[in-house]
Amino acid sequence: MTLAKFLTVSTLALTVAAPALAEDKTISIAGFGAASGVVGIFGQNSGAAMSAAAEKINAEGGVTLADGSTAMIETTYYDDRCNAEEGISVLRRIATTDALVAVGPTCSNVAEPLFGILQAKVDDDGDTGLQFPVFTDVAIKGGLAGISEWVFRNTPSEAMMYDNLFAWIRETHPEAKTIYGGVEEDFAHSRATWYAVMKEAAIKHGFEVVGEAQWLLNDTNFSNQVRGMRRAEPDVVAISAHPFTTCGALREMARQKVEPEVLVGLTSSSSLETLSGCAAEAEGMIIPTSFAPVNDDAKFAADAVAAKGAALDLHSAAAWENFMILRDVINAAGIEGTADSRDADRRKIRDGLAALTEAEGLLGQNKRLPDGEAEKPYVFVGASDASWTVVHAPDS
Amino acid sequence: MDYFFFIDLLQSLTDGLLFGTTYALIGIGFTLIFGVMRKLNLAYGAASLAGTYIGLLAFLNLGAPPALVFVISALGAGVIGLVVYYCCFRFTPETVPMASLLASVGMLLFIDEVVVHLSHGMPYPYPSVFRDSVIEIGEVWVRGDLLFVFLMCVVAMGVLFWLLHRTPLGLATRAVSQQPRAAQLCGIDSARVNALTFVIAGVLGGVAGAMTAAAVGVLSPIIAMGLTVKGLIVVVIGGLGSIPGAIIGGLLVGAAENIFLLLRGVTERDIYVMLLLFLFLTLRPGGLFGAHAGRD
Repeated sequence: MTLAKFLTVSTLALTVAAPALAEDKTISIAGFGAASGVVGIFGQNSGAAMSAAAEKINAEGGVTLADGSTAMIETTYYDDRCNAEEGISVLRRIATTDALVAVGPTCSNVAEPLFGILQAKVDDDGDTGLQFPVFTDVAIKGGLAGISEWVFRNTPSEAMMYDNLFAWIRETHPEAKTIYGGVEEDFAHSRATWYAVMKEAAIKHGFEVVGEAQWLLNDTNFSNQVRGMRRAEPDVVAISAHPFTTCGALREMARQKVEPEVLVGLTSSSSLETLSGCAAEAEGMIIPTSFAPVNDDAKFAADAVAAKGAALDLHSAAAWENFMILRDVINAAGIEGTADSRDADRRKIRDGLAALTEAEGLLGQNKRLPDGEAEKPYVFVGASDASWTVVHAPDS
Repeated sequence: MDYFFFIDLLQSLTDGLLFGTTYALIGIGFTLIFGVMRKLNLAYGAASLAGTYIGLLAFLNLGAPPALVFVISALGAGVIGLVVYYCCFRFTPETVPMASLLASVGMLLFIDEVVVHLSHGMPYPYPSVFRDSVIEIGEVWVRGDLLFVFLMCVVAMGVLFWLLHRTPLGLATRAVSQQPRAAQLCGIDSARVNALTFVIAGVLGGVAGAMTAAAVGVLSPIIAMGLTVKGLIVVVIGGLGSIPGAIIGGLLVGAAENIFLLLRGVTERDIYVMLLLFLFLTLRPGGLFGAHAGRD
């Protein structure tokens, strides 16, 4: 090829490619949470769900910007190791990038202090807090969105789910009178869920609390705790702990022949970890959850995430939903997607999220509440033959 | 004293003493290495757990029976112990004592991360034996699996004593421990003895890791930090460098943990165990059986 021919071909190629390059816009959504460490599986699942959701959105044409052009969603996942200081540092770093919104964090003990660095009230000039929208998928401890108007959550309402669960248990097991609680005392979520949610709901529905056993996240011996349980002979045992100690306690219960009529677990335990750790001992355990692959959309999402080597559960399903909700918000908000419009775009996304009263979820419509929290459809699942199966769907 | 309380006290003591043997094994591992090299290997707990995961692999992928899983766990930990020796101790300069200590901290974090990464932090079922068998002595239950753990640990200690006191390797180990230079002058290859000590300590750690996982029935990376902290407490209480001290210290920590759990609840339990550690460090820094340390 002569030099003249080469230049001609190159010029033509560039001319053809130029419009395509101009349209190759991206909107960046950051994900963050614990992707390593002992609770790293939560972040790994969420990261995979975000990536799969972004691929689906992009395959369907991406998002529409203010000028009518389209942009692809780009996502990066940052690891905070379930550590509050690292979480704060990660969010500050994300705020310096092109990301318009962040989805995370995983751990409630990170979420609480992290939300504290955000501006509490929008347009409060006296508050120099970070002005960056955060849309939480996993950290589930109740009431945290109220800390800042830049925070929105798509986590299920445990108070509502357990209230209905104990109402259902009361209805289906009228002979059950007493309950015994087992709680992982040093983890914010499990502790808050037993004392402020499960226990309250059980009492409300007429169960007498005949005892409580406490243990710590890395405990390996549960004989003392389960002995108290055995003596109390409760009809219902509720375990508010994460999979490792849930399994340890369940094994000890089996050993000491503690066989309650009903076994209730923590929302976070309705995952693969519990079944991989102690499927036999967890048999029959009932847990309320805001995700189960019960319809076509949910099955599609579960398959898409499974194809990435991860699992869709109540936490990672929220990450998937968050991306779909953000797609709709971005489409409606008139995002410009330029470097100059970054702060304004972030504000538009915040306002868009704040204006939502309903959003499409995998199990149906999610209610968006004025304080940034959500009320999501849910089902009760039970451990059966090493898998989680729906035992009751309250709205059906 | 209330009858049930008395029974609970006896039960807690029994469980604590039985479970304490795993702490004793970890303590022996720490103390064995310190005794020979005068150096602390802080990666020991993590290496023990990593070995336990190797046994778990055999269980999950090959369906290996429990006995074989325990043996593979122990041997796996022994091999990792050797790797730790070559990476953190063999080539670090003798003139910088902190070098090997910090290298072992780095190795602790590295092994921990590798285990968490490969296991995704998920708990996996670990085989246990005599899980459902219980010996009832009146109101007090002796768990069959914990009794097995206890016996396994006692056997491991017995084998260790035989190795140290009845074999040429043990003689060489004790010689290097007492007078490394004189031992070398007598033709003992101290580097080889050190390496073998790491292997033996690793095997003991592997047994402890396997028995801990077998007692819980679940293996999780969470266990590593507990093994390290408990092992260090045991050697401080028993006396750094003393094997009988590690055994007594292990049983004492196991029992104290359970008694404090019963008396003060889980949230205060560790406060009292740490207080015990603090008391030993200030009032008897050499521990129960260690050499008395001088003070300025």
